This record gives sequence, structure tokens and C-alpha cells, in this order.
Amino acid sequence: MERACISARQLFMLAILFEHGSAMVIPLGVDAKQDVWLAILCGMVLGGGLLFIYYRLFTYYPRLPLTSYSQRIVGSFFGKVLGLIYVLYFLYIAARVLRDFGELLLTFAYPETPLFILNTVMMLTVMYAVYKGIEVIARASQLFFFSLYWILILGFVLIIIAGAVDLRRLQPILEEGWEPIFHVVFTQTLYVPFGEMIVFTMIFPYLQKQEKVMKAGFLALFLSGINLAIIMAMNIAVLGADTVSRSTFPLLNTIQEIRVANFLERLDVLFMIALIVGGFFKVGVFFYAGVIGAADLFQIKEYQRLVYPLGISVLLLSIAIASNFAEHIKEGLQIVTIYMHIPLQIVIPFLLLLVAVLRQQKTDKENKGR
Amino acid sequence: MSTFQIVNPGNVAGATQRGGGSAGLPVALYTSTGDTLVEASRKASKQISRIPYYSHTNLVVIGEELAKEGIQQIFDAVERNPQFRPAANIIIARKQTAKQLSSVLTPIDKIPANQIIKTLQFTKGLLGENVDTRIREIIENFSLDGKEVVISSFRIAGDWQKGAEQDNVRTIEPSARLRAAELAVFKNGKLVGWMKNEEARGVLWVLNKVKQTNVNIDWGESKEGLSYKVMRAQAKVKAKLKDGNPIISVVIKTEGDISETFISMDFTDPKQIIELEKKIQQEIKKEVRKAVHAAQKKKSDIFGFGEVVHRTYPEEWKEMKKTWHNKYFPEAELHVKVDSFIRRTGLRTRSYIQ
Repeated sequence: MERACISARQLFMLAILFEHGSAMVIPLGVDAKQDVWLAILCGMVLGGGLLFIYYRLFTYYPRLPLTSYSQRIVGSFFGKVLGLIYVLYFLYIAARVLRDFGELLLTFAYPETPLFILNTVMMLTVMYAVYKGIEVIARASQLFFFSLYWILILGFVLIIIAGAVDLRRLQPILEEGWEPIFHVVFTQTLYVPFGEMIVFTMIFPYLQKQEKVMKAGFLALFLSGINLAIIMAMNIAVLGADTVSRSTFPLLNTIQEIRVANFLERLDVLFMIALIVGGFFKVGVFFYAGVIGAADLFQIKEYQRLVYPLGISVLLLSIAIASNFAEHIKEGLQIVTIYMHIPLQIVIPFLLLLVAVLRQQKTDKENKGR
Repeated sequence: MSTFQIVNPGNVAGATQRGGGSAGLPVALYTSTGDTLVEASRKASKQISRIPYYSHTNLVVIGEELAKEGIQQIFDAVERNPQFRPAANIIIARKQTAKQLSSVLTPIDKIPANQIIKTLQFTKGLLGENVDTRIREIIENFSLDGKEVVISSFRIAGDWQKGAEQDNVRTIEPSARLRAAELAVFKNGKLVGWMKNEEARGVLWVLNKVKQTNVNIDWGESKEGLSYKVMRAQAKVKAKLKDGNPIISVVIKTEGDISETFISMDFTDPKQIIELEKKIQQEIKKEVRKAVHAAQKKKSDIFGFGEVVHRTYPEEWKEMKKTWHNKYFPEAELHVKVDSFIRRTGLRTRSYIQ
């Protein structure tokens, strides 16, 4: 861990940017058709439950990140193994998000640029930010929080003025019942982006006023959940469920529908800004957690020394993980969900909490017995 | 794959503004063929000394013949390409090929495509017999089981062969002019018929796309003796199922003024106004019924009644959607209710005509 502290406000903004990150631009949970907003809200509520597990773990060890307290809970050896798994997980997800980001930019804005160049430029920026530390990332998030919100509000207002919204496209609600919604919740929306809050177990300990973690974390989770639900509902109300479920970036198509008074149009740049800001923070937070975790695990005092080697690894990994976009998405939706998200976001934290609670009770008893 | 008669590159690729006082034409046409749209676009590079750039494409013209064959396959390239705007307008070239329609020079807007788009926009807003369908709407309608596509058409009035020459814009009345024509009605992506005048306006009434228009009514002996100017119109469609058969009710509300009259009537009398409103309501009702019957004959639900049923009865719809256009829609019972209001009578009460 580095010596640093961030305020609850910064944590809140960082978490908001993180949650919006790529979730805002990708077709999140579109298998639920016009009820996708319901799927996101359900994911959010259950994600709140997961966040509560992470929060309880944090209250037991408020000064330690996940990679350290796992050693306290299940012993040095298994704890280290777990820590290593989490470090690899964070780095892998950082590479995945980086790939997402590169693919998105390439598809719609830079068709003739090689993927590697785009990823390199992004990764260099992220590496620089992580080198500077969490305080810098947090402060940057304060700055970008407002720009992102301005864009969202501006886009929201313009799309309504443009008259492109037809709420009837959201009907019929629950056409196929709840079943497909829960299917989407448990295969997609719960883990991305809500379950990904697990990465904040590496960042909570930096908080200046530790009692505020709960408030900042949950507020960020719920606010982003509601925002994402509104964004997806908007996409559907503008484009229709079929187009949304077929498009690679529904938000881009929605923004393209803005046409106000014959001059406010072609606002794709808003989408670009949202994509780049969101991508930066998502990659940044995952990468930071990975680096800090590795430094913590291998007891390296200056974590900065790990930034460049790990950064280059993430960059190369982001290119190597899939040979095409379809493969990348397929891995993300199936393999990563089953073998990474479910165990690492739900099962292990839950077991860790269980053991921590039992240990606590045992020590309480011993204390009483004395 | 069949060879498409290519619609796009001519419209776009040559659209250079007349600038710097040069005497050249504002647009040029290129035609190329290919098995797919993309191939044709790439092949066009043999003739054009620039990269075709589709971000500013704002009009797609489809020839009548292709429309009859089916337009479903055209739009994938458009949707997939990030340059292309799905908000671009689309029209059908009536009685001509798309190339002929695109090769008419127009006097007021230098770029014929702009002339078409603006004409379409204004006639839609002022008269309400044409729709400015966008590519995105068409693609969306393809995905909906309960709605069919309707697209405006344009035709060349006059001698089309003279339209391509610059002399066409040097005379006060160009020998070839572009004008909005009938509505093209589609079914399963194929052109199945045309609708015009009152029928066409009936379609727009139901689609809630009428902004302004004027409705003429007969009064006493005077045929079409009074003109009602609609300033605002709103339509709502509801659906009910009775013994499994759909009953569609359309409620239209209009607000407007009296804009012209040949009859001597005192418009300060509210009772008379109410009488007039009733007449207007009947007139609009007639148009709507005409439009719906025409569409029912063509077995193409261009009004999206099916989608209304879908939204209201999602369970029943699952069965109905397969045979909606052929079985349910042509038989559907229709209730039309029109509420028309005359709010004002302009600067005069009585007319000077006695």
C-alpha cells in the first residue's frame, strides 16, 4: 500500500466514473429486450448485497486491502494464493476493458488505425496516472465527474428536445415475464458493472474518514445503477429494442439521433468523450488495484517500480486475449462470468466474510473466557 | 446475389458546392454496379478522384423497380458503416429510375438532394400528404411484426431528359421539376401499392404526423365552400380484442382556424361554429376510413395497429403476429373519433361574399 488518503467525496466520484465506464457504452444486458432497465435495476439491488459483503470485510480490517486481509483470514499460504488470484484477475479485467475500449474506438472513429496503437496510447496514460498514485487518480475523477455529468445531462435534454424519444417502445413491459430478466441479471448485469465493485476493496483503506465508506460506496452504486437504467431505457425509447440488441454501441446510435434546429447534430464527440473518460477510469482503477495488490503481496516498498512491467504486460495481454471482437465478447459473457466473476465476486468474498465472522466470535469467546 | 441498380453514389459523391464563381454544375452523377452496395461503392473509385465519404449523405433514392423487388437487403451496409447516418431520408423514385430522378438540376437549392429533402419537410408540415421517412425507421419497422413501411415518392414533372442540363436552371419554369408524389406502401419490404391525396393524408392522420394542413368542407350548396386550417393535430390509437378479433379505435384531435370561405355565414355565432366543427370531423373521419380501407385491401398494416395490439395484449400477440397482416388486420374493426375545434376565424368575422 502506498501512503495516501482520499476523501469520501473523491471515492464517490471515482466509483461513479468506474461504474459508468464501459457499461454506459456497451449493449449491457440487452437480451432482456425492452425490459433491460429492469434487469439493470435488479442487478443494482443484488449488487448492493455484494457491496455489503465487501463492506463488512472492510469493517473487520479497515486498514488493509483485500490481498492483505485474505492472509489474516485464511492463513498466510492460502491467503497469498488468493491474493495472487485477485491480482491476476484485476490485471486481466484491466486488459479486457482496455481491449473493449480499443475495439470501440476502432470500430467507429479510427477504422484505419491499428488496435495496438490505440491501446498503447490509452495504456501509457493509465500507467502515468497509476505511477502518480491513487490521490492523483481520485483528483482527476473529481474533474471528470462533472464533465461526464454535463455530457449526460446535455445529451438527455437534447434527445428529448429533438423529439426522438417514444416511450411506447418500452412497452410491453415484462412481455416474457420475469424469467429472462433474472437470466440476464445473473449472467450479466449483476457482475458488470456492479459486482466489479470488488476492486474497491483495494481502495477503501485509503479513505480518510473510514466510517463514510458505506455512504459513499452505496450512494455511488445506486446512483450509477439508476443512471445506467435511464441510459439504456433511453436507448430503447429512441432506437427500439431490436436495434439496441443488434448494435455494438447503442449509446452512439442514440446520440446520432439528436437533430435540433438543423444545426445541433452530429454530436458523436459527446460519445467519444464519455467513452474515453469512462474507459480511462475503469482501466485505471483495475490496473491500480492489480499493481498495489502485487506490491502488497511481494512486499515491494515502492509500488511504482511495478507500474511499467505490469503495464506492458496488460497492454500485450489486451491484444493477445482474443483474435477478434466476437471472440472477445463471447469470452467476456461466458467464460469470464462463470470462471471469474462468480467465484471471485461472490463465492470467495462470501466465504472470507464467513470465516472472518467465525474467527471474530471465537476471539470474543476467548476474551470472555479470560 | 443479384446486381443492384445502385442508388447511392451518384447522390453523394458528386455533391460539390458551386463556389468561386466557376461555371461548373453543382453536382455530378456517377453510376457503378456491383453485387453488393459496398462493392459498387468501392468500384465507383474507378471514376471518382476522391474517397467516397458517407457522413454527409442525407438522401437515399430507391427506384420503383427495385422497390417492387424488395428493399430489405439495402440497409445492412448503411447500418453497419459508422460513417453513414441512419437519420438520412429515403424516397422512392416514382415511374423513373433513381438515376433519372437524381439527374435533374434544381433552381433554388443547388443540390437536388437538398431540394428534395426540404420540399419533403415543408410539404409534410404544411400539407401533410407525405412523410419524411428515415432509414432508421425503416430498419426498425422491418423488425416489428405489426408495422409496415410507408415511404414518400418523388417524380419528375416535365421532360426528364432536359433536367440534366444547365439550361434547366436558367429558365423561369424549368422543363424538368422534382415534385413529391404518392406514398409508397410496402409489405415485407416490397412495394405493393400507392396512396395519394386524401388517402395519403388519412395515413398521416393516424400516424400522428400531420402538423398543419387544410380541410375543405361542403356547406349548403357550396361545394368545398369553406377551408379549415389545422394548426395542431394529435392522434391516439388504441386496440381491444373481442372474441380474439381486434377492434382498433383511433381518436384524433385537431385545432385550427377558418382560413377561407365562399359562403356567407356569421362566424360570431358559436352554434354555427359547432355545426362547422361537426362537418369537419366527418370529413377527417372519411379520410381516415378511406386510408385504412385502402391499406386493408393491400393487407399491409402501415399504421402500426399490430404494434398497438402487441403492446396491449402481449400474450395474445404471440399467436396473432404470424397472420396479422393477412388475417387480422384486413378484418379489423375500426372506430374513428375525431374532435375538431375551430378556435379563431382570422381577421374577419363575416366574409364580404354575400
